[in-house]
Amino acid sequence: MKHLNGRMAAVFLFGLAVLFLAAVTAAGWGFEEEALVTDFSRKNLEPCGQYLFGTDWLGRDMFIRTLTGLSMSIRIGLLAAGVSSVLALILGTLAATMGKTVDGVITWLIDLVMGIPHILLLILISYALGKGFKGVVIGVALTHWTSLARVIRGEVLQLKEALFIRTAQKLGATKFEIVWKHMLPHLFPQFLVGLILTFPHAILHEASITFLGFGLPPEQPAIGIILSESMKYLAMGRWWLALFPGLLLVFTVVLFDVAGESLRRLLDPGSAHR
Amino acid sequence: MIKKRIYGKAAAILMSVVLLAGCAPGKQDGTAGDDRQTDGTAMVNRTAQDQTASGDTAGGTNGAKDSVIVAMGPNSEPESGFNPAYGWGAGEHVHEPLIQSTLTVTTTDLRIDYDLATDMQVSEDGMTWTVRIRDDVSFTDGEPLTAEDVAFTYNTVKESSSVNDFTMLKEAVAADDTTVEFHMEKPYSIWPYTMAIVGIMPEHAYGPDYGEHPIGSGRYIMKQWDKGQQIIFEANPDYYGEAPKMKQVTVVFMDEDAAYAAAMAGQVDLAYTAASYSDQTIEGYQLLSFETVDNRGFNLPAVPASTDADGNAVGNDFTGDVRVRRAINIGIDRKEMIDNVLNGHGTEAYSICDKMPWYNDEAQVSYDPEQAAALLDEAGWLTGSDGIREKEGVRAELNILYSSGDSVRQALAADTQNQLKKLGIDASIEGVGWDTAYTRAQAEPLMWGWGAHTPMELYNIYHTLEGKSAEYSPYSNETVDRYMDEALAATTLEDSYELWKKAQWDGTTGVTQEGDIPWIWLCNIDHLYWANENLHVADQKLHPHGHGWSIVNNVDQWYWE
Repeated sequence: MKHLNGRMAAVFLFGLAVLFLAAVTAAGWGFEEEALVTDFSRKNLEPCGQYLFGTDWLGRDMFIRTLTGLSMSIRIGLLAAGVSSVLALILGTLAATMGKTVDGVITWLIDLVMGIPHILLLILISYALGKGFKGVVIGVALTHWTSLARVIRGEVLQLKEALFIRTAQKLGATKFEIVWKHMLPHLFPQFLVGLILTFPHAILHEASITFLGFGLPPEQPAIGIILSESMKYLAMGRWWLALFPGLLLVFTVVLFDVAGESLRRLLDPGSAHR
Repeated sequence: MIKKRIYGKAAAILMSVVLLAGCAPGKQDGTAGDDRQTDGTAMVNRTAQDQTASGDTAGGTNGAKDSVIVAMGPNSEPESGFNPAYGWGAGEHVHEPLIQSTLTVTTTDLRIDYDLATDMQVSEDGMTWTVRIRDDVSFTDGEPLTAEDVAFTYNTVKESSSVNDFTMLKEAVAADDTTVEFHMEKPYSIWPYTMAIVGIMPEHAYGPDYGEHPIGSGRYIMKQWDKGQQIIFEANPDYYGEAPKMKQVTVVFMDEDAAYAAAMAGQVDLAYTAASYSDQTIEGYQLLSFETVDNRGFNLPAVPASTDADGNAVGNDFTGDVRVRRAINIGIDRKEMIDNVLNGHGTEAYSICDKMPWYNDEAQVSYDPEQAAALLDEAGWLTGSDGIREKEGVRAELNILYSSGDSVRQALAADTQNQLKKLGIDASIEGVGWDTAYTRAQAEPLMWGWGAHTPMELYNIYHTLEGKSAEYSPYSNETVDRYMDEALAATTLEDSYELWKKAQWDGTTGVTQEGDIPWIWLCNIDHLYWANENLHVADQKLHPHGHGWSIVNNVDQWYWE
């Protein structure tokens, strides 16, 4: 790393993180069928060469289950964070450009959603929508847009005073044209970084509510399910059921954070030249 | 900002993982650290010592310990207290009510004996039961127990019971101090089995808070109830029967892993446990295993698929064919399943009432995969290119439901899935909540648990509801219905047993392999307990469904060696 300057190191880290996450996602996708296979002839095995993460009380291969679970989490995270960020972009821009009333309503909405603890609102939404994949994705999407929306609103308010925007206004461009042609390109870096930094939140929250039993159904190989099942077996000394999936979850979350942080360094004018 | 928060969260998760991993020894401390409980335990021991110190009054047990601490699951704590009208003893999971006396009791072979009753008679038409009771019994507040109290109890449970069915009773009337008459709505020959679970309450001391401050005439008095933690019982000194050997019984409520840890720490004398723990050992404790009629099995909807008036799916085209159901019944290796899922702690089940006096042993089948394959071939389900059977372009698929959170049922469903695959049936499993399970079971197999000390279970499972089909899974057979109706109208229990048996299989039709086989029974789950090596637990009658209070049915006869 010493030979690399800051910029190259950031590119390197970003590439590595994305590569790993893509690999996990793809691998998990491929193992979906296998992750559900139960085989009682191999139950409760400690980690070994053949079963890297051991097996559980139904004889399921925990390595494959963990990979599939992570892959599922990443996909849910991508979808939920994507929806959430787009929501934030639209609402943030609307708040800043559509006048005082709209701004008031949206700011109030942001405060409202921020005022309720994430996990409570998430459980409520997920439960109301019948839990499962749909419940989790919509739940996470509807609770994670607020901080980014605030950032974008602030950014747009600043942009509004910029010379080129005022010029465009004087030249008779409509509001929509201004937002679309002149503002969005400026917002893109903020948006991208915000999007990537929402992933880890989304993944952690997916795992949390699934752990609590309000998320994905129990036969799904999801990290939250794996961790909550493992609780029962810890007293019997089956440490591997919790340790590896837990560590990998933490690792994934950290990697997403690294990717987002590197991207910010690349795009942020303040640090881009380093 | 965001970054910091995320690292914080990641660190929190990592920490909790580490904490969890370190939980095996930590958990014991956690339980021990529960102040009140430790106090409770200490108190129990102290009381026991006090009693033995003044040993002469305690019945001269010569210094022997006469108290016991029993750990049960959190679900065993009676939500509405010790009121039979709200499920104490006479609820979903039946057991002897301990605090109250019952008119009859079930014996170890599940026949009927007397407790308060001295004699019972039923009229020719089965519409009136006349029961004479003992005249020497008092409640623990000193008031005598009379037929009035019995009549009051039964009229009260009929009015307010939401957990058990008392619709067959019209009213109970006290003819004199020691005679009570039950007037029935319809003949009900197995009434003595109901009388064995309804604890008699005192009319004079009954109120809305009876559940929390119960008064009875049974072997024990409830001394203290710390909700969510423990219940302490003390022996009733004026008990009319044999004096309890165990003077004090403390029941604590904890999860499986906490109960295991409590046993490891020596804090409880007897702790319930599950088969998944059975390969562990605890020094000073032995693993007790009791046979049960706590069965697990799944329903196979016995009618073709359709939709009911509410738009719910009913029936299943695959399991609607009786040959498919028969193939599944003999195509499942129950022995292997018990070894796989229960570590061998179970018995093969062939009916909902194995080993009960009303069980028809014609239900027993042997594992025969060839015959099962032949049956499926005969039914037109032929093996396709991917090893899964097909008929007219339809794949042989089955989605087996289980209640989410129940690891044993999940494992049974998973093992069934694996075994069905060998037969060429593509099964999947799905965890569901009880809010949707009942409706979905009308069209898909669901992993159930049943087993009670009354033949009424057969009726509930197989008897047709008026104008429709059976309640829990679509099925109906007029002959089976008729036998069960006749069994309820029989004048003696012995006659009724024969008719219940015929309802299962009469030589030409029934609910067994050669009959309609609308339910597949897999296993009876042994109830397992960690017990202190020096504790002598009296012989148990077959436990019903529910791994809870049944174990202390005869705690009065336990003793320390």
